[in-house]
Amino acid sequence: MSIPLDSGTAKKMSAFHCANQCTWCDGCGDYGIWTAVKRALSESDIPPHGVLLCYDVGCHGNTSDKILGYRFHGLHGRVIPFAAGAKLANPRLPVMAFGGDGASFSEGVGHLVHGIRSNYPITFVLHNNGNYGLTTGQASSLTQQGQPMNSSPNGIPEHTLNSMDFVFSLEPTFVARAWSGDIDMMTKVLKAAIGHRGFAFVDILQACPTYNHFATHSYLMEKCYDVNAEGHTPDDFSKARALALDTSKRIACGVLFQREDMPSFYERLEPRKDCKTTAVEEVQIVDTAEWEHEFM
Amino acid sequence: MRISLKVTGAQGQGVNSIGEMCAKGLKRAGYCVFGYKEYMSLIKGGHSSYQLDVASEAIESSETTVDMLVCFNHHGLERNALEVKSCGIILHQTPQWKYTKEQQKVLEDRGIRTVYLPSEDILKKLKAKPILGNVLVTSVVWALLGRKAEELKELVQEQFGHKGEKVVAMNFQCIEEGFAFLGEESGKWKVESGLRLPKSDPSWKDHLLITGSEAMGLGLIHAGCRLYCGYPMTPSSPLLSYIAGMQNKTGMIIKQAEDEITAAQMMSGAMHMGTRAATGTSGGGFDLMTETLSLDAIIENPSVFILAQRPGPATGLPTWTAQGDLLLAVGSSHGEFARCVISVADAQDCYDLMPEAFNIAEKYQTPVIVMTDKQIAEALFTQKPYDQKKAKLDRGNLVTDPKALKKLKSTDRYDPNAKDGISPRWLPGSLAATYCAQGDEHNGDGSVDESAKNAVEQIEKRMKKMKAMERETPEPVLTVMSNEKLAVSNEEPALDLLVVSWGSNKGVIMDALKVAGSGLRVGYLHYTYLWPMKTERLSKLMKKSKKTVLVECNYGGQLGMLIQMAGGPTIKEKILKYDGRPFFVDELQKLLIANS
Repeated sequence: MSIPLDSGTAKKMSAFHCANQCTWCDGCGDYGIWTAVKRALSESDIPPHGVLLCYDVGCHGNTSDKILGYRFHGLHGRVIPFAAGAKLANPRLPVMAFGGDGASFSEGVGHLVHGIRSNYPITFVLHNNGNYGLTTGQASSLTQQGQPMNSSPNGIPEHTLNSMDFVFSLEPTFVARAWSGDIDMMTKVLKAAIGHRGFAFVDILQACPTYNHFATHSYLMEKCYDVNAEGHTPDDFSKARALALDTSKRIACGVLFQREDMPSFYERLEPRKDCKTTAVEEVQIVDTAEWEHEFM
Repeated sequence: MRISLKVTGAQGQGVNSIGEMCAKGLKRAGYCVFGYKEYMSLIKGGHSSYQLDVASEAIESSETTVDMLVCFNHHGLERNALEVKSCGIILHQTPQWKYTKEQQKVLEDRGIRTVYLPSEDILKKLKAKPILGNVLVTSVVWALLGRKAEELKELVQEQFGHKGEKVVAMNFQCIEEGFAFLGEESGKWKVESGLRLPKSDPSWKDHLLITGSEAMGLGLIHAGCRLYCGYPMTPSSPLLSYIAGMQNKTGMIIKQAEDEITAAQMMSGAMHMGTRAATGTSGGGFDLMTETLSLDAIIENPSVFILAQRPGPATGLPTWTAQGDLLLAVGSSHGEFARCVISVADAQDCYDLMPEAFNIAEKYQTPVIVMTDKQIAEALFTQKPYDQKKAKLDRGNLVTDPKALKKLKSTDRYDPNAKDGISPRWLPGSLAATYCAQGDEHNGDGSVDESAKNAVEQIEKRMKKMKAMERETPEPVLTVMSNEKLAVSNEEPALDLLVVSWGSNKGVIMDALKVAGSGLRVGYLHYTYLWPMKTERLSKLMKKSKKTVLVECNYGGQLGMLIQMAGGPTIKEKILKYDGRPFFVDELQKLLIANS
């Protein structure tokens, strides 16, 4: 399958073009995701200076200097709280966070839990390649049980974490899935995620030709399909969950679930109701004399 | 002259509420009050105390002995009776209590009077709820102090007025009953008792009675901090509680995070976006935050971490005090980078150093650690209302002007040639060239660059900030006792005794020097700015001092170690305490005299 780099929005997409050369392996899924992110941003009319892209540590994190826009490349596993803190400070700026399956389901799994639970108004993109690529192919909690990997020659003893079941158990307000070879699909779900009111969880099944020999590009191409094209509407939680979980024959991609009636974390903050400014704009020396009376 | 009273009981019995009510009443009556709490890491039960030291002049310390002991249960009688001074009073509520023979003898020798208050019977008679025992006990204390019932009624009216007339009336009845109870006995004990309030000074009336945590909360608000993120951990929790309680007034974003890593990351994200944000924790939580601190250093993100110390290692003594984390603050986090460590000493600092911490963080675009401890966080200070005009907002090299923004190149963000290593900083969303706040070693625009040349350039860029900070950090402040008065000195006079310390010890050292008055020339050198460490002034002073002594609440003498690390002199004499308690004024005085 050829990756359609020219999507018809090249003029705007080029605003995100960065002179640094990509360093991913041949056939890495990051090329496709990188392209789809640029395309989704430009098709959402977001200029490079109008977004904060936050990257975790892992192969995907090497996108941080291969794309323009305000970017952040942080610590392993910790991208969600950083992105959330940034967003709360300036809710007007779209904030996207990117993390791998190692960062999101092992090191920083707590942040994913509370990110979804808090419904922070950010987009989270899971680069799900089923292993720790950058550290040369160790098993993640999403690697198939029994699969021999670097540091687990007999396969990991633990059972594989059912990531989608886990995510749905947290009552998310947005869940989408795509795979790294389908730029159109990724663009579609990323745009929907960017426009979502609360925390948007986007699972991108990503080819890792170097270390993941079980869910390869051709395997994903064969199994993934556009579930929305087949008539699935993202308003049914149970149906969406069932679709997300059943990957035995086919893998449902597209916007699986979305509800817009849930206020985001920021909208729930009582002190911020009817507040027209952002925390970024409010920095000044504040007179506290009136609040000192209670101590008199 | 000072007197002290101590309320003891199980947690949840009302120890704190009596302490606070008495403190407020005494401050309004024209006294400087210093409140000190001891309690255990549990919700109900245990043995806790609230001690108030009261004087007409400024005090910020407690004594080991008290003039009045108020006991809710027999534990106070067992454990604290012998802390009562000669001619003092013990007020208790345990029926048919008998001291041991040994206790009885000491109490008699000291002329201590024991008063039994049958509070349960009195409450029953009044058909009052048990909670009103607090007001009843307070009223007896109030009568014992020779104060008027009206003062107490005024406080009660203020505190419970909103609960309606009935509640207030019942409270008033308890107060009257408390005064009546003592009525028959008061004449007798007044003659016998040595308990006398010193002469009052009306200038205290308009002061605030505030804990270090509340003062720090106000300081954060004052500094323009708009987001606070924390995870509950004593002794940083009261700050989170206070600032969260204020959110509907201040409009601040408050987040109780799922862990300290989250708290640190959210603060960092918010700072990166361009607001002022802070996080606070204690040692264990700070350990979790340290990776984030290191990240803030490399992405040159201004960040403010509040480290409220308690004794470790591990859970240690959760509700007690210590200064054992100084070297942690200075040495935490991997990699070499510029940081600033400052410490508050009292409620004045808790306020003043908050804008200062943010100014330093933004000026040098690097982490600032503000140290406090359980003693400061929970002690009650009598504090002058804060000067609203002193603090200035300094956001450093932050570019916000649209024209200036347009001229920026991506590579300006981490320009290694920037003066003092402080390159322009601009915020996400600005209409300007974009950059990457890059946690990997990077070049000017935040692109990963692993070349040897770039590594040297960038490390040197960031460390230049340390040099600039060193240059601009104030020297420690010297206070000298002369003509029976303490005064700040900008000179380096010859001294008989030079005391060197930091943090919460300041108050007790000052109080100890005041009462010393032995004709010795004594000075106290206080370190607020701990890293970068300045040692020049200390060296000069030590050369002219007959004796220098280090005072710290830790085992190792960490300030002394830090001074040595920075190439400063060795302070051989040390007064160190590491039992979870702060220094008490009489205790420290004896130790200083023994060392002088």
